[in-house]
Amino acid sequence: MGMTPRRYRRRLPVLPYVLLSPVVLVTLVIIFYPMLQAIWMSVHDYIIWKPQDIRFNAFAHFVTAFSDEVFWISLWHTAIWISLTVSLQLALGFAAAILLNQDFPWRALARGLIIIPWALPSVVIGLMWSWVYDPNYGVLNDFMLRFGLLTQSMPWLANPDTALYAIILTLTWQGFPFFAVMILAGLQAIPSSYYEAAELDGASRRQQFWHITLPSLKGVLVTAVLLRIIWVANSIDVIYVMTSGGPGYATHTLPLYAFLRTYTAMDFGYGSALAVLFTLMLLGVVVLYLRRAGRDVT
Amino acid sequence: MRRLIASVFAGALLFAGFGANAEEEVRFWFHFDNPDNPISQLVSKFEQENPGIKIKAENIPWNTYYEKLNTSIIGGNPPDVAMVKLFALPQLLEMGALHPLDDHIASWDGKADIQDELWELNRASDGKNYYMPLQYVVLYLYYRKDLFDQHGVKVPTNREEFLEAAKKLTLDTNNDGRIDVYGFGMRGAKGGHDHWATFVLPNGADINKEGGLLTPEAIAANQWFIDLHRVHKVFPPSAPNDGFKEITGGFKAGRTAMTIHHIGSSAGMVEALGDKVSAAPVPQGTQGAWTAFGDESTAVFSASKVKDAAFKWVAFLSSGDNNVEFNKASGQLPVTKSGSAEWTLHEKRFVDATVASLPFARTLPAKPQTSEFVGSSWPTNMQRALLGEISAEEMLRNIDNLYFK
Amino acid sequence: MMVGRRSRLNRFLTIELSMLAIIAFGLGPYLWMVLTSIKPEELLFRLPIDYWPEQVTLEHYVRLLSKANFLENMGQSLVVAVGTVCVGLSLSVTAAYSFSRFRFPGRRFLMLKFLVINMFPVVLLIIPLFVVMRKLGLLDTYFALIIAHSTFSIPFATWMMTSYINTIPVSLDEAAMTDGCTRLGAMWRVVLPLCLPGVVATGIYIFITSWNEYLYAAILAGQNVRTITVGIQTLIGEFEIEWGLLTAGGTLGALPATILFIVIQRHLIEGMVAGAVKR
Repeated sequence: MGMTPRRYRRRLPVLPYVLLSPVVLVTLVIIFYPMLQAIWMSVHDYIIWKPQDIRFNAFAHFVTAFSDEVFWISLWHTAIWISLTVSLQLALGFAAAILLNQDFPWRALARGLIIIPWALPSVVIGLMWSWVYDPNYGVLNDFMLRFGLLTQSMPWLANPDTALYAIILTLTWQGFPFFAVMILAGLQAIPSSYYEAAELDGASRRQQFWHITLPSLKGVLVTAVLLRIIWVANSIDVIYVMTSGGPGYATHTLPLYAFLRTYTAMDFGYGSALAVLFTLMLLGVVVLYLRRAGRDVT
Repeated sequence: MRRLIASVFAGALLFAGFGANAEEEVRFWFHFDNPDNPISQLVSKFEQENPGIKIKAENIPWNTYYEKLNTSIIGGNPPDVAMVKLFALPQLLEMGALHPLDDHIASWDGKADIQDELWELNRASDGKNYYMPLQYVVLYLYYRKDLFDQHGVKVPTNREEFLEAAKKLTLDTNNDGRIDVYGFGMRGAKGGHDHWATFVLPNGADINKEGGLLTPEAIAANQWFIDLHRVHKVFPPSAPNDGFKEITGGFKAGRTAMTIHHIGSSAGMVEALGDKVSAAPVPQGTQGAWTAFGDESTAVFSASKVKDAAFKWVAFLSSGDNNVEFNKASGQLPVTKSGSAEWTLHEKRFVDATVASLPFARTLPAKPQTSEFVGSSWPTNMQRALLGEISAEEMLRNIDNLYFK
Repeated sequence: MMVGRRSRLNRFLTIELSMLAIIAFGLGPYLWMVLTSIKPEELLFRLPIDYWPEQVTLEHYVRLLSKANFLENMGQSLVVAVGTVCVGLSLSVTAAYSFSRFRFPGRRFLMLKFLVINMFPVVLLIIPLFVVMRKLGLLDTYFALIIAHSTFSIPFATWMMTSYINTIPVSLDEAAMTDGCTRLGAMWRVVLPLCLPGVVATGIYIFITSWNEYLYAAILAGQNVRTITVGIQTLIGEFEIEWGLLTAGGTLGALPATILFIVIQRHLIEGMVAGAVKR
């Protein structure tokens, strides 16, 4: 036993590189080359309709960003956006996965139905939900007025105090099936012998959950949360469809702000600088997260 | 049988043409609100009349139309011809993306049939014409005739009458303490600058001149407009986030008594409200009236290798019957004199309101910044002003900075 | 008897009722969309809201399928999504196996590098990528979209697969190899069957990611290859949203992934059986 693994380990370093090289090659061409170009743009004055005026400006855009009020507003919204959306998605997805793992007659159907919100294109989701929230002919206000929860129609998306949270609810709806499916798959990998042994030792359901289920799921949970943080942070299509960042700056997140600067003002220099800053900050969050939670994942 | 032979022959020609490169292909990008793909008939008619030219018409989603167009220009693969709007002209020009059409137009026999104002409106800042008019609309006031009659309100022609009408028509119809109908459906999201411009610009506010928006009259006019929402509350509370789907939807649902839009939505309005909806030119300001001219043209791109064939297609779409067919499908108005003379697609009251509005139909400044004004500067500043986060003056100052800083 | 009934009631109250609540939240807006799609156009904005349509019509579906080329778009989306699943899954499974089973210089760096791929806002990558695709002559081809979508799903897929493979004890690989399997043979015959649930979940993830992707589908393709998201976007016009067609399209568009999941969800259980056998 002692001989074999060591022999393999010495021979190994070639194989993982061989296995990884196609992926690395593709990502270099498709992502990292474009990313380098964007980084190049971020240190230039680069407004698309002024092709004569492209000039190196070192870090001027980054300095501008730090004194840009909208940058800070967007950063704050991004923090709320990520933390609330991911935790709500996780809570709901976890509950759904545990339930879907139980035995009941219509489980197969339930498993299929649960992923519907995730299987819809974002633009359809954005439009349907803005219709639901509409104060004039939307379903939500109608319901709440009928049941006496509101006395006046509430313009959920036009009110700066509620707009961001209304969209967070929409994104929670869209994304919780991801957690449900990933956690459900993770639950299957826990050997049933663990539970059998625990049962023999007289452990209660609750104890089994805390001492077997949760620790066994840790790797999957940590990874799923990590991936979701990144995905949610960058997801702007639903916000764009529902409010385009408004009213005012009430639903600006950093990637959305970068997008608006880039495509409505055609200011690719500043837009790229915002994107680079955002990526660096997100990278910082991810590295911290992995330090704390991810020791057994990487 | 003859057709079969003809098509076999045509197929053979096509095949031969492929090798010899005798056939020219024109890539045409368009966006269309009508999903039934009516353009294919025009394409086959054109191809029949112009053997040797093939049209590859690509329907591009409106949401990302300009993102895709700009990407393709910068990325070096633009179409030969595309549908374009005036607000994009200054930027396209700066990028050197367009091919001037003046020489082609000079020798084109359909030139005289295009309505004369349109050539003027489409002319670029360098005096050349890059855009061929294709269709147009003019914004006017939609109002609920039944509600106006019922409450004894007359159609407003100026700001004072407008305010009075809007107040009278902000109603709690069933006395449950909730407002059911609002006087005016205001568009506060992207695209609503037309509403704002109608009520602010013709009152001593000049958006074309540095400081022109910062005169006391301009600030007062902007304050008046913001007060419609904040003081008089004649807009639905959702106004800051409302786009065209909310203003037309709200009007159709009977939630608003007036709104401003164009003839393209008249069919839907009539479908929902029948005779209860009518139209009139927008109310005047202190110095005349201002309403938005909504344009759509075609342009040939400088990177095209088939510019002559491309112009043939451009000219085809803007001449006589073809232009009429095109606009029947798009629901807008033809640009030719002959086509306008016998136009029957829309109900008369909407055509009349459009024609009566043409003399004061305007466009936004022909400057590259207009794109940003429309896309983010106006909506953000307007929304913040409507919510009370910034003052009327700050809003105007931000817009002035955008154009003149 | 008594016990059986009580436990069934118990199960209903604890499990099925909570499940119903979650499904009601998940399905509510979708059902509203389905109901909208069968209402006649002129009744959509009528007040008070009709929750149950008085008149039912299939005109939107007929129009969608006959005029708007929707089936064709769905077929093309299916090609792209299935292609992406094949490419993405095979690349990410091998990558995940390397990350999980080997310790080699640059491993952590590569894993982090993978994550960075999804951190940079894609809208800023699109122009350079457009140029790359044009130079390779791949604009408006299936290949371009499959490669682009794979690249964007591989990082997540690799990370997820790594965490699933990590749950399979290394001793199993080693046992297989002492029995004469090669490394890849051990992966293929022992590790993959054991984490089949993870493979299925990751496959679903890749499929849905590709199926719902819009920006690349619209800008790198759109004419010869026109996915369902692009098709649906053309129903949202400048001045008119075709609500009837849009809701019909959304209703149909969610079906393939849902049906796919209903069909393969039992493989999520097979993993459990295998897991019981595994020691």
